[in-house]
Formats: sequence, structure tokens, C-alpha cells
Amino acid sequence: MAYATQGETIAEFVNTTKRFGRVLAADRLNLKIGKGEFLSFLGPSGCGKTTALRMLAGFEAPTEGRILIDGQEVGAEPAYRRPVNMVFQHYALFPHMTVAENVGYGLRQRRPRLAKEDIAARVTRALDTVRLGDFGPRRIWEMSGGQQQRVALARAIVNEPKILLLDEPMAALDAKLRGEMQTELLSLQRKLGITFILVTHDQQEALSMSDRICLMGKGRIAQIGTPRELYDRPANRYVADFVGRANILTGTVIRNIGEHALVRLASNHDVVVEAPHPVSPGAKVDLAIRPEALRLATAPQPGLPDIVAKLCRMTFLGEHVEYLLSHPALGQLQVMVPRQAERALPGVDTGHEVHILWDQGNGLILGQD
Amino acid sequence: MQDDNAPISRRKFAEELERYRKGSVSRRHFLGVTGLGTAMAVMAGAMPMMRPRGAHAAELGDRAVLATWPNYHDPESFAAFQKATGVATQVNVFGSNEEMLAKLQAGGSGWDVFVPTNYTITTYVEADLIEPLDLSKLPNYDPAAFEARFADAGTVDGKLYAVPKNWGTTGMAWDSTKAKAPFTSWKEFFDITMTDFSGRTMVHDYQLTTIGNALKYYGYSFNSVDPKELADAENLLLQVKPHLFAISSDYQPPMRNGDAWLTMCWTGEGKQMNRDMPEIHFALGKDGGEIWSDYYAIPKSAPHREAAYALINFLIDPQVNAREATAHGFPVADSRVNALLPKDVLEDPILYPAADLLNAQEFGAAATLTDPNRAELMARFKSA
Amino acid sequence: MTKGRARWLLLGPAGLWYAALLVLPLAVVLVYSLGERAPAGGYAPALTLAQYANLGSRWAAFQNTLLLAPAGTLAALLIAYPLAYFLAVRANPRWRTLLLVLVIVPFWTSILIRSYAWIFLLGGRGIPALLSDLGLGDIRLINTPFAVLVGIVYGYLPLMVFPIYVSLEKLDKRLLEASSDLGAAPWRSFLQVTLPLSLPGVATGSMLVFILLMGEYLIPQMLGGGKVFFVGNALVDLFLQSRNWAFGSAMAVTLVAIMLVTVTLYMRFLRRIGAARDDTGLM
Repeated sequence: MAYATQGETIAEFVNTTKRFGRVLAADRLNLKIGKGEFLSFLGPSGCGKTTALRMLAGFEAPTEGRILIDGQEVGAEPAYRRPVNMVFQHYALFPHMTVAENVGYGLRQRRPRLAKEDIAARVTRALDTVRLGDFGPRRIWEMSGGQQQRVALARAIVNEPKILLLDEPMAALDAKLRGEMQTELLSLQRKLGITFILVTHDQQEALSMSDRICLMGKGRIAQIGTPRELYDRPANRYVADFVGRANILTGTVIRNIGEHALVRLASNHDVVVEAPHPVSPGAKVDLAIRPEALRLATAPQPGLPDIVAKLCRMTFLGEHVEYLLSHPALGQLQVMVPRQAERALPGVDTGHEVHILWDQGNGLILGQD
Repeated sequence: MQDDNAPISRRKFAEELERYRKGSVSRRHFLGVTGLGTAMAVMAGAMPMMRPRGAHAAELGDRAVLATWPNYHDPESFAAFQKATGVATQVNVFGSNEEMLAKLQAGGSGWDVFVPTNYTITTYVEADLIEPLDLSKLPNYDPAAFEARFADAGTVDGKLYAVPKNWGTTGMAWDSTKAKAPFTSWKEFFDITMTDFSGRTMVHDYQLTTIGNALKYYGYSFNSVDPKELADAENLLLQVKPHLFAISSDYQPPMRNGDAWLTMCWTGEGKQMNRDMPEIHFALGKDGGEIWSDYYAIPKSAPHREAAYALINFLIDPQVNAREATAHGFPVADSRVNALLPKDVLEDPILYPAADLLNAQEFGAAATLTDPNRAELMARFKSA
Repeated sequence: MTKGRARWLLLGPAGLWYAALLVLPLAVVLVYSLGERAPAGGYAPALTLAQYANLGSRWAAFQNTLLLAPAGTLAALLIAYPLAYFLAVRANPRWRTLLLVLVIVPFWTSILIRSYAWIFLLGGRGIPALLSDLGLGDIRLINTPFAVLVGIVYGYLPLMVFPIYVSLEKLDKRLLEASSDLGAAPWRSFLQVTLPLSLPGVATGSMLVFILLMGEYLIPQMLGGGKVFFVGNALVDLFLQSRNWAFGSAMAVTLVAIMLVTVTLYMRFLRRIGAARDDTGLM
């Protein structure tokens, strides 16, 4: 990814807190967003991601802390004075206006007034950008869901905002359309060079589109990082659990080996895992290993711990087959097996015992939540 | 004070009048124009469960419908009648004789007894809307007890169609604190309306008295249907209209609160206002005006004829009638009833004006009720 | 059972109702309007346009009606809109139901009684006395067109408030956020989003009030002192006092015709200013 965090900052949360009555919706957020960055707020519903976006847009004022856009503190500025525009979750298009009137709405609010021809030209350009060139005179209710989505996008980008805010913009689209739209959004962002901030609960969407992801939980930022960082180095159990799938186990540290550690599992098997933070021998730790990092075999492999588990269920997923196994000490374990690797498991069926292969260095010690 | 012989004490009389005054918020015209009375009649008639049940329902039926004027009865009389006969009386009140006629003409009124004014009875007879009365069913009626001029109109072509209820006059009432001198004629009434009393005078929403008194301005007959004389009256009324406070028979509230200073006024109501506010005076026009007599009658279409006879007979019983008169305050023509009323009532100059003044007044004439020119004149005056 | 028969069965009661209570009486009135007054009053059959030729004699009633009905509708709208806006947008949702009930409460009392209250309020001892104490001189309010206007607005306000309230209440609040997000200050958002989207409510309320006002009778009678005469008052006079049913019918037919024309024109106008969309309800 091209984005570098040390670039210019376009927006910043400084200890920003928002309370709704007794509910703490955003708890001391600290975050810098870079110019031209594609950042996603990711998290389950109620995690505070929408509140963060709405504070940036100006629909909610922070209870404490500050918000800066382009170096200016905007905490007290109403939405209509902020250089940001939003694509709303259900588009919020004006039903009494045509497509072109919707798109030109923001330009018509400008003071001093823009020339009519100027507005018309910019509207046409924006509609072309979202490939709705001929739809200007149409009524909103004549447009399909995907088309409405693009109108909403055009209505926002025509104003050339410093930041484009996207509030779950693809939640209402079907899977195929969503994929197309994601691609379109990405190319649009490259083309325009505007900072995009996306709110989503869909981790696939966040992983595939973002330069950086800000994963939130219970009003707090759980981890900020590139998609790979979040996936490969989840900071804690919450992140590991939310981003991708993970087998989360507990163990005791035996000793450090450089940036790795030797950990004894509850089943008395010793494994070598990554240790992003220094750990001391004897410490109880959580560790995570992705289902695709484990392998299955019909026989043990020398040099690796011999973890024998019973196969409970096989789920065919196309390119992969998901195996669900049960171990008396470790509990349930997921293993993702590529189709071609399945050939190494002839005749294996539910109820059979199989050997789980844990390669050295796979897996990760998690930090505290 | 020698009250012991009187059937009703002075104190009681004063209380009764006070009660009447308090109840005077709803008046003939008001209830008439709002159609409330009609609505009540229609509803009660259409819903069987709203009919009261009586013990003696078998002979007379269980109800009688009375079409009358507002504040013209003592509700206790109806209670006593129901107790005696089992017949419950439903009272519907009306705004004008024209309206009563319109309802009877339209058919399906459901009335058993109604209270027409003297000059309308011949029209009801001609239209075959009214029942000749069977005197054997009205033992309480004694023709000898009545002054002829208040009873005559009940007989048409030698047949008795109606028996007298009350009589009265239509004069003028005014706030004496606003007037330089007492009013004595309709000429003065209209003249001051266009000058000192501009915006303070009320005329009735009733063709007979409003047109009749305007005719008196020129010295014409109160009952004239002569087109030229009516044209003069219309001229006057149109001239006066911008100076009127209102065209309404609902004159007591504005008179009482000082919005209006002068109004055409029926006897009993003049008495009520004078009693409560002595500064409100009442007088008849020496140039003329209306004297009237109301009657009980039975429509041809009466659904409960026997109950109708029983009700009329009950109400003209001298004892009952004296109580009624005490309650509503209008004079009675029945000498048997007057014998039961206190002397100061019978000597009241408003209720019983001097004979010479009374002689100048005219009874309404039948022609005025049906004359299309008078009806249209009134309508034009109001919508001008 | 065929589909067609089911449809007729479903439409039957409403159709009969409509025919018996609307079409039939209208037809009777139309026939009567071509007749004459019977000598003692009532209706006499004839085939003449004389009654229509006489309509000019009631010009004042038509003039009053055609002036005060739209004026009353407009005044009611100007008062009802801010009230409805407050109730739908600003009022604390916890109190909203209570406030709405308060708007309807006067409706539980007869308009008669309420008009009577106005007679006293506008009478010499009411508001004019207060104004005179403030040194504003002799101001007469009762029995003027103004009094009738006050009564009309008061009497019909809830009929205007509720349709507007409903259209404002169902307005998607996110549209206002979108408007603000796109740079519109609150009052511009109101003019460009709230107002146009509440026009269906405005149209419904105005139509309800206007149609009822065209036939109004009670309020002019009570607060106009018989001097501010509506067509409705003239009609009552013709049917109950002068008993000229033929002329009364001609007036009634004319009133219905005027109403049809004005309502049609009004709807056209609304459509032209862009309120007419597929979801405008009444349109």
C-alpha cells in the first residue's frame, strides 16, 4: 500500500469523547488521518464507529476532546460549514428532486453563488464520473438501488470535499453489486485523491479497500493498522477474533527465542510462536493461530508436536474445506485445508482421529484486551 | 305582606325569575338556527333505546313530541305529566314560525304538539297540516275564561284548531344610561340607529317584526304586503344595515354586556333584562308594532294523537299553567290562571302595558307568513 | 366465484352509499334548481333558469364566502404550520402525544359552545375592553369579518395541523442531515427540503379546511351577527325562512360548481409547483 503514515494529516481526533446520556459512545479517541488516505472504521454495531464519523461530519458534537480538520478545530462548527461530505447509509437522496438536482444541491448552497452553467457542467462531470451521464433528468424513484448509491456518491464528490465520509454505503446492495461498487470506489479514490473514511461492519470490505483500518469496540479504538497488520499481528483477543478467523488458545511461556517464544499448550504440547511483545517465562498467555496456518495429516510429522484430535465436521467452501476438530484439552479447533491439500487425507471422515501439524513460528502471542 | 293567599310567594317568584334569567342563555333564535333542537328530535326518534318508558304506556303510548319555543316551559311540568300518565315529553325548540312551517311542509316532523303563533294558523289549515281539536278530550279548556282577541285565531271557519298558550308584545329595549330620552316609537328607533346609536342596535332575524317595524317607520301597516310600501321598508333597512350591531334574535347577551344598546325585544325577555338590570328599559312603539298570541295545536301527522291531547289538557290546567307562567314570565290570557298569579305580576307595566298603547299594536296577519315578497325582502336585507 | 363478481361485491356497499347519499341528493337539488317557489313556500315543478338569473341578488354572500374561505384557509395554514412543525420536529417525543391530544381537546366540545366563548371574548367586555384599557380606543371586534375569521381559524385549526404534522413527522430526518452536510444552513434546509416535502400535508389540510369553509354557516351566524353572510347562511334562510327551495337549490348547485372549479385549479397549481409525486397521498 502506497500510503505512508508520516504524510500530511487531514483530520485528527484528540481525546475525543462522546456521551449520550449515560452511554459512552466514543471513549478518548486519538487518531490522525492522512491526506489521501482510505481509512475504515470497522467494528460491530454499537462500537462507536458511526459516532466517530458523525462527529467528523458535524452531526454530533464531542462531549470532551477535540476534532481537527485540516488543522482547524471544528468541534463547534455545524455540518454545513465543514469541508466534508457524506454518502449516507440509505443514500438520503431528496425525493422531490431529479438526479441532477440532487447532485447540484451542494453547489447551489455556495455563497457567493456559482454560475448556473458552471453548476450544470460540474454536475454533468460528476454524473459521468459515476457512469450516470444520461440520468440527470430522472426522478430518484426511477433509479435502482445501485444507481441511487452512485447518485449519492456523485452528490458528495461534486463538492470536492477534503474528506469523503461513507457510512456503510454498500450495506443495502447485493453481494455482486457490492463487489463492483468496492472496485469503483477504490478507483474513484485513486483518481480524485480525496481522503475517504469508510464506516463498515464488513471486515472483508475493510480489508480489501482500506489503506488503514481503525478497529473499534465498545467506544474505543482496539487497533489501528494496515489490513495486513491487523490480520497478521492482531493486538489482542478482540482483534484476532473480529478480523478473520482464529483459534484462540491459552498457554504458558517456557522461554523466549528472539522475537519468538516457546509456549506450552494446555495439552502439554510445546509450540514456537511469534511474540510481538517481550514475555517472561512462566507467564500465562493467549495465543492465536489462523485456521489456514494449521495443517492436517493422517500421521505425525517428526519435529512437530503430535496433536491428535477428532474430526467433528467438514464444510465444503469451494476453494477450501473447513475442518472442525475437537481435542480433549484444547477444545474446538478450526483448520482450513486447500482443495489440493485434501488429497493428503484419503478416507478421512467425521469421527476419525487426525494429526494437527503446527509449523514452527506460526501463531502469535496476543496482548491484553 | 299578605302573601299567604297567593299560590306562590314573592320570594319564590323572584327565585323563579332568577332561574329563568340564568337559563336564558339559550334562546329561541339561537337554538333554532343552530338546528340543535331538530338534531335532538331526529336522534331521539331514531333510537328506540332513548325513548323513556312509562307505567301507563298502554293507553297513551310512552311519549309525546312537543315543538315549541325555547324557555317557554317549566321542565317540572313535563316530569309531573310523565308521573301522571307515563308519557315522556320530548321538547324540540325552534327559531321562527317560518321554520316550523318549513318543517311541517317537508313532512315527517314526528311532532305531536306544536306552538304556532296566531297569524300562522290559517295557513296550516289551508295546507291541511293541522288537526281540528276534539274538545271532549280537552276538559281543561274553558273558552269563556279567555279574552277573545287572544283566543280568536284558534278558530278557523267555525272549527277550533288551537287553544291559547301565552300572549305578548314586541317592543324595544334599550340601555337608558346611553339614551338622552326614552324611546317611544319605531321612527325614533331607526333614526337613532343611524346617528347616536350607530353600531349599537339589533333587529330581529325574523321577517315579521323587522319588516313590520320598518313599515311602522313610515306609518304603514305592520302587516303590509303592498309592494311599494315594502320597497320603502327595504330602503330603510338597507340604509340602516351598516349601522346595526347585529341582525339576530339572540339579543340578550350583547344587551347585557353592553355591546348593544338598543334592540327589538319580546315582552318576557324585556322583563327579564329589566329585572336584572334596571337600567334596561322596555317600551312599545306608540306608532304601533306587534301583539301576539301563541297557541297549542296538533299536526295532522301527529304519531301519538292521544298523548298530544293529554299533554295539551295537562298544560292548560290552571294550576299547571300558573306554574308555567311563573317559570317563563310571559302573560297568560286565561282568567282562571291570572286569578292564581300575584298582583304585582299582573300590574307590571312591561308585561301588561296600558290599554291605549296595547290598542295601537297589530296582530300579525296570515299574508305576511306566505308572502314571497316579504320573505325575499328579508333574505335580501340579510345578504346585502 | 369470479374475480369480477368479487370486485362488485366489494364495491357494492360503498357504491350504494355513494349513490344514495351523494348522487341522489345532488340530482334532486339539480332538478329543484330548475323549478319555482310554490305559492305558500316550498317547491313547484317547472323548467326555468329564472333561479339562476336571480343569483346576483345574493352576490354579497358569494363575495363573503369567496373572500373569507380562502383568507381563513390561509390564516389557518400560517398558524398551523409552525405549530405542526414544532410538534413534529422540535417537541420532546415524550410530550408529543400529550401535546397532540391538547390540540384535539377543543374538538371534544361542540363548536357551538366554543363559538359562544368567542362571542364573549370578542364582545365589548372581552378583548376590546382590554385594548381600551391599554389606550387603544373604541375597537369593535364582534360581528365583524375579523371575528368570523378568528372563529374560522380557531374552529378548523386542528384539521390543518394534523395533515401537516403527519407529513412532517414522516419526513426522513436524514434528508435534513444530508442537506446540512451539503452546505445548507438550517433555514435553507427548511425552504429546500422540509417545506417542499410537507406540501402534501399542506395540500390536504388546506383542501379540508377550504371545502368546509365554503359551506360554513354556524360561525358567520354566531360571530358575524347576521351581518357577515356566507352562502351557507343564505341557503339556510332560503330553505327555513323564505322557503324558496328552488332558489336555494340553484344557490347550492352554484356553490358546488364553484367548489369543484376552485379545488381543481388548486390541485393543478400544486402539481405545477412540483408537489405532485407518486407518493403525495391525496393528489
